[in-house]
Amino acid sequence: MTSLFADSGPAVHVAPAPIMHLGGLTITNSILWGWISTVIICLVMILVARRVTVKPKGGLVQFIEAGVDFITNLVESGFDDKSRGRRYVPYFVTLFFFLMLSNWLGLLPGIGEAFHRGDNPLLRPFTADLNGTFAAGLVTMLVVYAASIRESGGPIKYIRHFFIGSPLNPLYLIIGILEMFTDLTRVFSLSLRLFLNVAIGEIVIAVFSYLGHVVAPVTALPFTLLELFVGALQAYIFTVLSLNYLAIVANHGHGSEGQESLTEEPLPETIGLQSGRA
Amino acid sequence: MIIADATSTTVIGKGIMIGLGFIGPAIGIGLIGGNYLSAVGRNPEASKFFGQALVFTAIVELFGLLAFASTFIVK
Repeated sequence: MTSLFADSGPAVHVAPAPIMHLGGLTITNSILWGWISTVIICLVMILVARRVTVKPKGGLVQFIEAGVDFITNLVESGFDDKSRGRRYVPYFVTLFFFLMLSNWLGLLPGIGEAFHRGDNPLLRPFTADLNGTFAAGLVTMLVVYAASIRESGGPIKYIRHFFIGSPLNPLYLIIGILEMFTDLTRVFSLSLRLFLNVAIGEIVIAVFSYLGHVVAPVTALPFTLLELFVGALQAYIFTVLSLNYLAIVANHGHGSEGQESLTEEPLPETIGLQSGRA
Repeated sequence: MIIADATSTTVIGKGIMIGLGFIGPAIGIGLIGGNYLSAVGRNPEASKFFGQALVFTAIVELFGLLAFASTFIVK
């Protein structure tokens, strides 16, 4: 079933829809496209990795290479000690490319309202599903917590990092506990940001192609291009923010010893003060 | 009463929700952009922090998107 024009208002979906049942599992349209795009991304990356040469030939290979280089520099410069940062480069590069290419593959024609199975669209962008982005956020934060514990040298030292002074001081105790809860909300803020940007981008494209009616491609094109930009930007932001959460902990013990502060008395180190660093 | 008869109050609620929800992020993004430009104006070397300005923009933007997404919950 293919429909060229929307009959009554723009078709707006915020939640994924089930399209089939496989055993006890419900397969939704977003997970179906998520699997397909995972295969596509893996194939593209394997193909690119085989064709990397010392002398760049241009094209897709060079584009991917530039992206890898960009994220590698970003991760390494985020840490005070570059060799520490190098260990986490593979994860963040994978994260960046997976999210960016998932965002872009969701913009392809045919994803969304074009094909239907029953009443529901057959395919839906993977990152326009809160379950997908929540999984990405959860896995990323688990990696960040595990790496933070390793970088700070043990769970006790990691928990100690939340308290700016002695935990026996009631004020510092309350602030530290609040800081821990703030840490838990990061999963939600990371996943909600990505999900809402992509899902609302889809809605905006749907609304403007509805308003355009016959000339829908003309009215929807600027917003599709905007979504290309937003997709890359959100992948970058997801990577940078999760990198910062890790780098704050990893740099915590080193910053105060290495560099002498300008003031006579060292300022009390707050966790919020360091978050401005990239 | 006349307005309430003419349209559903849900529509008015959604309109207020979107309107108020977008004011905050709009001011915030404006402040980020303006302060970034004034920082670059004072010190052109600060232009390398454009990526960080984008990150803060994304943090602010989330709240506007939350307001927009909440309108789908109002029935």
